[in-house]
Amino acid sequence: MNATFLIGAAEGVQWGDFLFYLLTFVVLIAAVKHFAWGPVTEMMEKRANKIANDIDSAEDARKKAEELAAQREEALKDSHVEASKIIDRAKQNGEQQKASIVDSAQSEVMTMKDNAKKDIEQQRQEAMSGIKNDVAELSIEIASKIIQKELNAEDQKALVDSYIEGLGKQNGIR
Amino acid sequence: MSEEAQVLKLFGIPFNVGNCLSGFVAALIVFFLVFWLSRKVEMKPNGKQNVLEWAIDFTNGIVKSAIPDEEGKKYGVLAFTLFMFIFISNQLGLIFQVNVGGITYIKSPTASTATTLTLAFAVLLLSHLMGVVKFGFKGYVKNSYFSPMPALFPINIIEQFTNFLTLALRLYGNIYSGEVLLTVIYQQLGKAAAPWTLIPAFPLEMVWQGFSVFIGSIQAYVFVTLTMVYMSQKVEKE
Repeated sequence: MNATFLIGAAEGVQWGDFLFYLLTFVVLIAAVKHFAWGPVTEMMEKRANKIANDIDSAEDARKKAEELAAQREEALKDSHVEASKIIDRAKQNGEQQKASIVDSAQSEVMTMKDNAKKDIEQQRQEAMSGIKNDVAELSIEIASKIIQKELNAEDQKALVDSYIEGLGKQNGIR
Repeated sequence: MSEEAQVLKLFGIPFNVGNCLSGFVAALIVFFLVFWLSRKVEMKPNGKQNVLEWAIDFTNGIVKSAIPDEEGKKYGVLAFTLFMFIFISNQLGLIFQVNVGGITYIKSPTASTATTLTLAFAVLLLSHLMGVVKFGFKGYVKNSYFSPMPALFPINIIEQFTNFLTLALRLYGNIYSGEVLLTVIYQQLGKAAAPWTLIPAFPLEMVWQGFSVFIGSIQAYVFVTLTMVYMSQKVEKE
């Protein structure tokens, strides 16, 4: 055997083993890589990433929760202020309404009073003028009665006639 | 184990049948073990997956200690397969050996120089190749042979051969001596004529097997660690 190969340098060494082992080992590496190493290391990588992500997202969630809590606190404070504002406004409105109602009632009363006064005055005046007329008529009647007593029968008759005439005239005018 | 070997000639290339068969069996065991462990890969690892991930983490740790940057990720699968193959090979001969007609067909593949030299040659050749790929041929020569100073060139050249030989022969020596002693204990005491020799033979064999399991694990670790150190010398700027 013409063996100049490193391992097969000595006569009688089975240098075929060299090729066999080389081949076996390379095939073994390929098989292990394909069937075990690949999936397992991929899963390990995935797990490492997942853990890192989980830590990150937990941090995020914590920050978000803190923010929300702060916002709620703020909102609560705001709502207090808002509520007191609303109450104040309602009070003011009530006050204003009260004042306006009282004002309008007062003015209405005043106008009603004025109107009543005017009515009364008018009626009084009307009554006064009626009375004046009556008094005038009565005084005339009385005067005429006094005058008629000193008349004689004929004169009286004439006077009655004239009176009746006068009555007839009056009636005619009316 | 015995020194005789059946040699098969295929296309004029001599094959040691026992050695090849052992290597093939070891490779099959590694493959089916890893294949079985990697079924049903889940985000939340179950029992089997935990074992495999622990082993992967272990070899990744070896790679990382030698090549800490992103470059090291490429060698993860090499380190893992190398470790598993050498570990199983080392233990194979301790658990069972098949001997038919004075010829050993199944033993530790790593108890043979052919196997260990092949593995060492393959990984060192790969390291040189990766050096050339990374730095270009000029950069590779400069980085590997003229650093940290050009005066070290002869020593660097010699180092390439000593690296190769020590890497291969360290593994071979450890495993081979373990198997030899196991065989010696069995043949001198276990198979001896006097029945009472079985009494010391049993605990001796057991103790030595236990120690060999330990040595086999350590040697697999050392081999992979040194492989990655040699690799880093070629692909990292010094």
